[in-house]
Amino acid sequence: MKKSNRKVLIAILVLLSSVGFLIYRGLAETSVYYLTVGELKTSPLGLQLGADQAVRVGGLVVDGSIDYNQRDLTLRFSIKDENNPQQTINVHYNGAKPDAFEPEIEALLEGIYDREKNLFRAETLLVKCPSKYESEQENPQEADK
Amino acid sequence: MISFGTYSLIAALFFTLLSMGLFLSGLARNNVRLVQAGKRGLLSAAIATTLASVALAWLFLTDNFSVEYVASYSDRALPLFYKITAFWAGQKGSLLFWAWVLSVFIALVIFNNRREADDRNTPYIYLVLAGTLAFFLFLLCAISSPFETLGFMPRDGQGLNPMLQNPGMVFHPPILFFGYIGFTIPFAYAVAAMITGNTGADWIRKTRVWNVLPWIFLSIGIILGGQWAYVELGWGGYWAWDPVENASFIPWLVSTAFIHTAIIQERRGVMKVWNMVLIQLTFLLCIFGTYLVRSGILQSVHDFGATGLGGYFLVFMIVALIGGIYLLAESYNEFKTPGSVESYLSRESTFLFNNVILLALAFATLLGTVFPIISEAVTGNKLTVGQPFFNQVNTPLFLLLVLLTGICPLIGWRKASVSNLRRNFLRPALTALLAGVIMAISGIRELYPLLAFTLSAFVGATIVQEYITAIRSRKKLTGEASAAAAVKLLWKMRRRYGGHIVHFGLAIMVIGIAASSAYKLESQGTLRQGESLSIGKYELKYEKFRKYDKFNRTIYAAQLGVFVDGKRIDEMEAERRYYINAKQPTTEVALRSTLIEDLYVTMPGIGRGNEITLKVAVNPLLIWVWLGSTLMVIGGILAIIPARRKAACSE
Repeated sequence: MKKSNRKVLIAILVLLSSVGFLIYRGLAETSVYYLTVGELKTSPLGLQLGADQAVRVGGLVVDGSIDYNQRDLTLRFSIKDENNPQQTINVHYNGAKPDAFEPEIEALLEGIYDREKNLFRAETLLVKCPSKYESEQENPQEADK
Repeated sequence: MISFGTYSLIAALFFTLLSMGLFLSGLARNNVRLVQAGKRGLLSAAIATTLASVALAWLFLTDNFSVEYVASYSDRALPLFYKITAFWAGQKGSLLFWAWVLSVFIALVIFNNRREADDRNTPYIYLVLAGTLAFFLFLLCAISSPFETLGFMPRDGQGLNPMLQNPGMVFHPPILFFGYIGFTIPFAYAVAAMITGNTGADWIRKTRVWNVLPWIFLSIGIILGGQWAYVELGWGGYWAWDPVENASFIPWLVSTAFIHTAIIQERRGVMKVWNMVLIQLTFLLCIFGTYLVRSGILQSVHDFGATGLGGYFLVFMIVALIGGIYLLAESYNEFKTPGSVESYLSRESTFLFNNVILLALAFATLLGTVFPIISEAVTGNKLTVGQPFFNQVNTPLFLLLVLLTGICPLIGWRKASVSNLRRNFLRPALTALLAGVIMAISGIRELYPLLAFTLSAFVGATIVQEYITAIRSRKKLTGEASAAAAVKLLWKMRRRYGGHIVHFGLAIMVIGIAASSAYKLESQGTLRQGESLSIGKYELKYEKFRKYDKFNRTIYAAQLGVFVDGKRIDEMEAERRYYINAKQPTTEVALRSTLIEDLYVTMPGIGRGNEITLKVAVNPLLIWVWLGSTLMVIGGILAIIPARRKAACSE
């Protein structure tokens, strides 16, 4: 192998290993578990989460639980497990209520769960746009396929 | 009209399959006339899909809600304009749109090559294109037809989601699709070349152009998507590393890599194998993106939900992947070229590094996007990553890419001498240093923004230096005035300067991204009429409230006076809109954009006594993101305007 080729090859290897390191560190530092409400409350993984460990949780917004203070922009509500609706947690979110937010919609939260108070402090709140594209309730024949 | 649409689709599928048969038998018998007939079959398929598309548009325009797709995405009150865009609002219509555009693109390829005699590659190129078209037409005919009827005529449709009732809807989805679909063409060229082993100068030239064209569309589509998110969704940003956004960004990165190494193949005849890999990867990633959007396997703000099509796309992708790998292995010996880099101080080697970084960015983004799926498959638990991951990993890589963008034009091909380098680097390096020092003095101390500004200044300076030097030597040669020389140079060597303009735009965009993400100001508050809220140098005063009806919506609007130092310089209007047929109100962003900063206001709530809640942000230099990315597109267009026969416009 020519000398210049070797130098280029070494530089590329150095670059690739730094990329590998960057990705590894990125995953180690920023990845969070994604659990359902039921898993967060009862699964072994959910139970062993640290008290200040961020976690992502998804569930359906409980009808009648929404309490939005528009003046302070605080939003309180409960979410329930999609398959196991008895399992619920209370959520506290500081921020504006998203336009699409409504009962029975699927909400995706990231934040910290306080097991003793059954309270989830959400840093981020995403709702799945219900009507943006085909929604399953409206087109059951779609969902069946 | 409904059955007309259905039959048009069936006819299109028939013509496509017929032409595939003609190409195959043309190949088997080595018969040129069969290949010609196959092309005519593809043109007929293009006409048939056009008719099917006209039929669907017609059903929307005539409010024919007995069609399930029309009923799901339109209603009587929808403005005419959006009745047409509702065509691609859902999964089925967008699939038809895809097939239609692909068939038109194929017709364009045929038209573009009409004067040239067919070579050995021709039948294979059209065979691949026809095969891809047949796949989409099959899905449309057999699995997911937009012409499916409900069996009765509802009184009204369900309407179009208010978020899709935005001018962004007119251009963003179709143009993004043009990009995705366009990459089918270089893919077909690559497959044909791998089968025949024929990659002449003509092949790489055409493949490059057919790659830059979809690259331009994909770029425009991504920019428009960002702008739409910024002005419509109201969360204050333009890019969230959402899976669907990533799905468009990943093939963009890979095709960008190919655009660079294609130049090396063109000039030196090397890197053929690698380029084949990049072309195929781009196409596969486009299909993969489509799969992500339509399979419902990832959580995203704009996926189509589970559509039942995911499996088909997966199969198509796997077939293309295995076929591609097989062909690559078969043709490897033919395309293999000897070790090519003569010096690590050469433009070739900067291109290699550029490729490594672009692919690393693509890989990291892909990995982050599918990480929930991988981690669940491996450990049984779903681990997800979000914006912090992408920002943490991609920012340093991106900065390195900007650095290379600056270095590359300063280094000659093959081997650069040290004295040469010193002369070329001096001024850009000093400019960058000066920019860095000024930034540091004016209070910018964070590493990444500081680096972003410094490196962008470096890139800008190298390009300006190169341009000025070239203008001077042209003046000497031709005796033209400076302005004339500058313009003529730009036009005569548009491929080179197109590239420079893309890079200049990149530098401007990087400045905009760095400033707007690192120095954003945010505030929120609830105001009664007459009260005000301050942010940065601005004070927003809530002056008036009004309510009125317009088209299919009721609008609640708050008029805000914008004050700076006690002087009223402007006014803005924040809105909430209540659409007929929509359950929730939507927030309209009020935006005051200047070269220096954007004032961005949303009104998440209206309370008793018309008390309003405002969220306000100041985004510094945000418009630079749009300016820079627009320049990138302009540069790309300039670079592929074909040369007249005589003018030697490539470098």
